[in-house]
Amino acid sequence: MGNNTAQIQKASWLHVFFAAGMAIAFFLPWVVWKDSLVNGYYMPSGKFFHIAESKFNLGNLYPQIEFTFYAFWLIPVLAIVTALLGWQKKKTIWPAFITGALTLSLVTVFSLFTKTLIGLGVGNNAFQMLKLPAYLSALFAAGLILTALPAGKWFLRLAFLIAGPLFAFSGFMIINKKVWSETHTPTDKEKTDYTVTAADLILEFAANDTAANTKYREKILVVTGNVAQVETQADSTINIKFVDTSKHFINLSLDKQEYANAKEIKPGDQLSVKGSCSGSTYSMILDSTPIEFKRSTINKTKQQ
Amino acid sequence: MKKTSLVLALIFATVVVFAQNLPAAQARKTTTSATVAFDATTPKDNLPKAENKTVIGSIDFTTGDVAFEASVKNFNFTNPKMQEHFNGTNWMNSDQFPKFTYTGKIDNVKKIKIQKDGVYKAKVIGTMTIKGVSKPCEANGTITVAGGKISVVANLKIKLEDYGISGQQPIEAGKVAKEPMITVSAQF
Repeated sequence: MGNNTAQIQKASWLHVFFAAGMAIAFFLPWVVWKDSLVNGYYMPSGKFFHIAESKFNLGNLYPQIEFTFYAFWLIPVLAIVTALLGWQKKKTIWPAFITGALTLSLVTVFSLFTKTLIGLGVGNNAFQMLKLPAYLSALFAAGLILTALPAGKWFLRLAFLIAGPLFAFSGFMIINKKVWSETHTPTDKEKTDYTVTAADLILEFAANDTAANTKYREKILVVTGNVAQVETQADSTINIKFVDTSKHFINLSLDKQEYANAKEIKPGDQLSVKGSCSGSTYSMILDSTPIEFKRSTINKTKQQ
Repeated sequence: MKKTSLVLALIFATVVVFAQNLPAAQARKTTTSATVAFDATTPKDNLPKAENKTVIGSIDFTTGDVAFEASVKNFNFTNPKMQEHFNGTNWMNSDQFPKFTYTGKIDNVKKIKIQKDGVYKAKVIGTMTIKGVSKPCEANGTITVAGGKISVVANLKIKLEDYGISGQQPIEAGKVAKEPMITVSAQF
């Protein structure tokens, strides 16, 4: 009997240790991405995706579900609750299970996201990039679930051990598959960022190339003007050119499926084209500056 | 006698000039609609390939000088995320290095007669510049002259590590080819 009580005593102290450790580890650096340390609490505070986006151009693909990340604040809160309850030898099963499962899912997200960043050339080894507090958090989380008071309910414990990582892994894989199988939205269905005349766009680039590039690069533009040149390539794609008297000109590459609509276009026609602007780069060959567009489609045509 | 010699000398000189050298305006051809296809696909991944259809190119059929310039941001991938990665700082870093350039010389330009229909093999010895790094690069191509139109198709391979692109996990995992194939096609 005395032996049993001592064992329970020992288990509850261990439980309190895991809970307290969890509450502290959450605020320590879990991973290093190049020179950026990323702490566990950076996920619910929003810093996680802020760093990923600002430094590595990999933001949250689904910002509409960002509010769900606040749930991770439950980790330190429930860890403290668990520690206090454990201290008083009271039931901790639910706060401990929730803290453990949330922590294990968060460690899984950190690992998988780090692996994705490695794909972008940020580091080479996810295991080395993860820091000791991340490994300790996983250990504390598992310990918290296994030592929750009262003892027993082993199937439930096992389910909570697996649930967090499984949920995070499946979610991550679904998003990953969606991202890599995605194709560009057809340009005619994309939201237009700017509508400009060819002359005004050329003027803007000629006046301040850097500012114009910042404003228009990777934006969807509708450009209207009089066609200066039409070039049909061997694979039936057509390039449309707008020029003016400056050393800038606009060069739009039409989508291949536009051939039927575009084959009749001739210099002098007034045309409205929608495309993705790639900005301008000075050409030494021509001693002029093309403003280039990809994935362009004809918006409207009016033959002269 | 002196006059006759002078006239003959002039005729001879004119014939020589027109036989070997085209007038500069005719000899140098330029385009703003060449295509450069970049193919780094592997058996494990068919996504890393793209095309740029607004490439600027010039060929001088007298001197054999060849030059191409491609805006990195105008390469179009089918997958938007792949395109974003391609332009990112760890790959092509297109904000800092907005252009790929190639300059070279056709080594057998004298055998190519652009006034006459025909198909000519050409070897270009030149330099490719990517991310500010210039490396020697040879290209083999075919020049087809038909009905006054000149079509050029050339293939070349580059080593990504030559341009400081190495060690990335997709390369090591065999998802991105270490030596992508670049195909240039242009009509002049």
